[in-house]
Amino acid sequence: MNNVIEAKGLTKRYSRTIAVDNIDLQIPEGRIVGLIGPNGAGKTTALKAILGLATYEGELSVLGKSPARDRAALMEDVCFIADVAVLPRWIRVWQVIELTEKIHPKFSRDKCLHYLSSTKVTLEHRVKQLSKGMVAQLHLAIVMAIDVKLLVLDEPTLGLDILFRKKFYTNLLNDYFDEQRTILITTHQVEEIEHILSDLIFIQDGRIALNDSMDNVQQRYKELMVSPDMAAAARELRPMNERELFGRHIFLFEDANREQLSELGEVRTPSVADLFVAIMNGDES
Amino acid sequence: MNRLMALIKREFWENKGAFRTTPLVIGGIYLAAMVMFLITFNHFDNEFQSLKELLRFIAQQDVVLRDKILYMANLEISVLFSTALAFVVFFYLLGSLYDDRKDRSILFWKSLPASDTLTIASKLLSAMIVAPLIFWVIYVISHIVIMLLFSIVVMVLGENPWTLFLSLGSPFEAWGLVLVSYFTQSIWALPLYGWLMLVSAFAPRIPLLFAILPPVILGVLELWLDFLKTFTVNDNLFGLFGHWFANSPLILSADEHDGDFGASLGIAIFSDYDHQITVANMFDRIFSTDMLIGLAIAAVFLGGALWLRHRATES
Repeated sequence: MNNVIEAKGLTKRYSRTIAVDNIDLQIPEGRIVGLIGPNGAGKTTALKAILGLATYEGELSVLGKSPARDRAALMEDVCFIADVAVLPRWIRVWQVIELTEKIHPKFSRDKCLHYLSSTKVTLEHRVKQLSKGMVAQLHLAIVMAIDVKLLVLDEPTLGLDILFRKKFYTNLLNDYFDEQRTILITTHQVEEIEHILSDLIFIQDGRIALNDSMDNVQQRYKELMVSPDMAAAARELRPMNERELFGRHIFLFEDANREQLSELGEVRTPSVADLFVAIMNGDES
Repeated sequence: MNRLMALIKREFWENKGAFRTTPLVIGGIYLAAMVMFLITFNHFDNEFQSLKELLRFIAQQDVVLRDKILYMANLEISVLFSTALAFVVFFYLLGSLYDDRKDRSILFWKSLPASDTLTIASKLLSAMIVAPLIFWVIYVISHIVIMLLFSIVVMVLGENPWTLFLSLGSPFEAWGLVLVSYFTQSIWALPLYGWLMLVSAFAPRIPLLFAILPPVILGVLELWLDFLKTFTVNDNLFGLFGHWFANSPLILSADEHDGDFGASLGIAIFSDYDHQITVANMFDRIFSTDMLIGLAIAAVFLGGALWLRHRATES
């Protein structure tokens, strides 16, 4: 299987801080990867390096090209939505479609119009006349009409309502994703994307805190919910994290024996959000 | 090539107001002025009782004189267009690499497979070719409409428009000269265009301030230091700019030849800056050592703009 992204010792320094600290990373094709991290962890910086929008140190190859040197060529096979509101405000919908068609060799006007037909966006609209959600729909329609190998979404649904967010990811999964494509997503709304992810990367202080497939993550981590009288016994098994909810104690275990845990209480697969909190907190202590 | 054309089209779409509406408004002003003149002429208290008498008087004047006056008038009509064009291009370039950074749409443009070099080329070519061409076409069309309208009026009043003015004043020559002046100006102004694009790519805000303040401060300092040393004012940055401006091939007055204009005001014009309006004179300017230096400066500025554009999404 080919790696879409290969990074070795990827580092990005700003004048005083190190935003990305010596990251090694391989992302194979046909995956949907969630890049999760707290604010300022270096997610956006890492994405910028991958997209050729920022300089970096270390080795980085995206689809066999160097993003820093070959951004224009790379963008024939990579698409990104950086933030919902970045379409130019003065442009009309038909103009942005015509431009993309002329500049992007892999853009299909028919596909784009098809995606737009299910929205309220018309060709004569100017972007500044559209609501935030409609701009996101337009941007997504353009991006999904481009036949690229890697799609990068940086907080694509920021500021959008829940109905739209659900539809956004449903469209992405049903109409767009296939085995040849790779999608890299960052978002704070982890719970909305965890069911579509195939791989999970946690990033903290510019370093990778976790990098695994969702299948492995689900096998490796267990959540145990016990009543207070069993809490001491659970602590004996050295959980990664403990929290209390409605008088019940919830423990998170890594590589624990499922049967041993189930004697103490109810065992579940943890949500990505809970796992995230546990790992981030764990690293701090 | 297709990509470059698409990017140039984008520049036109974004700047339709400046590139197309501005010259249309100027053409409209000329037309309105003419119509107002025709309507109100009879109300003026002057020696001609009617337009008809005025036309007859003009028709009786020396044909050589009429030819010369008409020729100058034909060129003079372009002056408003040319002045507006200079302003439009100035502010267009000042915003060219700034506006999309400000509204963050640069991230969309950078998601398209078009290199920064191509983007900068499309903006520079829009300023050098597209805007002048649109202004020129609308100047010529306005001129033709004015001539047609006036011809009709003249015919209604029983005079022959062909002998009266249509056959005189060589309008084609005026149009050609204006077109050549626009394109030679585009080359002559490259150092300025380069500077504006550099500032546009650099300015964190208010690019106008960043474009004007540094050269003004530098010029004043230079002036002052020079004065301290020699108690005289020598050629400095301002002088350099004045020299550049005075030698600009843009036609800003139909009287820019033979020193007539300056002489009429009692100002002696240095022969260096006294350029008769001819194609050869315009070409002289762009095939000169000054121009070579200017091109070198422009290359440095544009290179800087490209470097900055490449890093515009850094933080």
